[in-house]
Amino acid sequence: MKRSFSWKKALPLILLLGFVLAYPRLADAYFLHLAITFFLAMILASSWDILARTGQVSVGQAGLFGIGAYTAAILFKWTHLSPVLGMAAGALTAVIAAALLGYLTLRLRGIYFSITTIAFAEALAVIWLMTPSFTGGAMGLSTPPLFGGDRELAYYLILALLIMTVAAVWLIQSTRLNYAFTAIRENEEVANVMGIDPTRYKVLAFMVSAFFTGFAGGFYSHYNTYIIPYEVFGLGISISCLVMPIFGGLYTITGPILGTVLVKVIEEYLRVTVSYGHQIAYGLILVLVVLFMPEGVMGVWRNRILPLFKHS
Amino acid sequence: MEWADFLQSFANGLLIAGLYAAVTLGLTLVLGVMGIVNFAHGEMVMLGAYNTFWVFTLLGVDPLLSIALSGLLLFFIGLFIYRFTIRPILNDPPLNQLLLTLGISIFLQNLAMILWKTDSRSVLTAYSGMSLSLGEINVGLTRLLTFLIAVGLTLLLLLFLYKARPGKAMRAVSENNTASWLIGINVQKTYLLAFGVACALAGAAGALVSTVMYTFPMVGFKLSLKAFCILVLGGLGNIPGALFGSLILGLTESFVGTYVPEGSGWAEGISFILIMIILIIKPTGLVGTRRE
Repeated sequence: MKRSFSWKKALPLILLLGFVLAYPRLADAYFLHLAITFFLAMILASSWDILARTGQVSVGQAGLFGIGAYTAAILFKWTHLSPVLGMAAGALTAVIAAALLGYLTLRLRGIYFSITTIAFAEALAVIWLMTPSFTGGAMGLSTPPLFGGDRELAYYLILALLIMTVAAVWLIQSTRLNYAFTAIRENEEVANVMGIDPTRYKVLAFMVSAFFTGFAGGFYSHYNTYIIPYEVFGLGISISCLVMPIFGGLYTITGPILGTVLVKVIEEYLRVTVSYGHQIAYGLILVLVVLFMPEGVMGVWRNRILPLFKHS
Repeated sequence: MEWADFLQSFANGLLIAGLYAAVTLGLTLVLGVMGIVNFAHGEMVMLGAYNTFWVFTLLGVDPLLSIALSGLLLFFIGLFIYRFTIRPILNDPPLNQLLLTLGISIFLQNLAMILWKTDSRSVLTAYSGMSLSLGEINVGLTRLLTFLIAVGLTLLLLLFLYKARPGKAMRAVSENNTASWLIGINVQKTYLLAFGVACALAGAAGALVSTVMYTFPMVGFKLSLKAFCILVLGGLGNIPGALFGSLILGLTESFVGTYVPEGSGWAEGISFILIMIILIIKPTGLVGTRRE
């Protein structure tokens, strides 16, 4: 899969990069905060998609997110470790958890893995609630504002992490890993016969996914300055991790990013209009995508809209 | 005294196991006949519970009477859901079925939050507080009634599956759907009926749930997770396995609640821990073989 460098492709990317780098100078506090939450969600969406490339649906990303968040917060509480190091520690803890959980359950058929991931996140929430001396319990933990409350620095940090995530996805997509992941997704038995060890690659994908999800969790705990188990281990986070890439279009670089923007805009609108239950849109999107647009928005764009302009 | 504690928690565990079995029956039926894990099953229970709560609060209908009412309502909701969402994706990969039913589940949870807020509601009848003393143990009347009704529902389902023609067709389809089609069974109709019956069972279970637990939008999701645990314990898709799994979960939760310090909080997590332990140690479930 050789890619020749072309200005036609690179120019929009360079313009986009220039825009996101200059963005904090252009935006007010609210829009800066909005961009940070969008980037955070994009990281979650893209890293969920990494695992989905092997055909596995995790419904418990909140478990990894919460581990990252709490590792960073607890380390800060005990040792006043620098927040960025705390986030990295959170990412590593999430990777270790994913390696253990994945090694034990990714041998099983897909549906069992999905059920185990839900159980994993919910079990963590119970453990956290029941051990308040260590975890803060239902009251949660608080941390001082990140970088003394400087949102611009927080913006650049999360932007750097987003770029790393996208780079990781790009690397996976342009190396032999792509073939291995796709083969496992399409037919695990055949992949096995071809000499690909499905469990190993699935665990690897889960670990990469966990790294970015855990890091994002650590960032969230410091940026939000306050975390509670119900939220960081909650079903809401797990669901949003999977709805955004599915809506945008799976197994692509742009799909999860685009899906995040669309879903977040809908969600922000609903958050203002209904007080409870704004995740109703998530459920509706899942049903509609599975029934009518299996390749997501990207698929509709590729198969329905692009051909309209090509014929004339 | 300690013996009495043991008997009491055994009785409590047994009674709650009956309720869990009622919740799990429909899930098992759909999985056995159609091979689909219905993530929205708990939400059918939730709707049944809300239906019972509202007809009780607004019209004063006794919750035990609305078992039939909730069952009937959910039967038709089930037919509707099957016709417009499940049927088009019957031949899709299992993950699409997972995502679709998960989507329905999230949709109904949030719809319930929008319509009825997140308040916990309970059905308090004239006989709610009554209890029976049997030797050294006390048993709440509503709990005993829900247990007996759950046993009745299970027997009814087994009778239907083994004696009635449509029930026999369901068993045939669950064994082999192509062969069933060859001998003239209408597989599509069997699926439709199985899904409707499963949702009706969920609705009836919901009526029971509303009398012994709080009713709130996430109650279905909580029960879904317990039902998954029961499926995993009993091996997927067979009814005896589901009954066995319910018993294990109910008793474990009850004993943990009694004997572990702060046990009632930990008991909430038992089902998740059991899911992980069983899948890791013995993925085929504790009894029987696993459906592929």
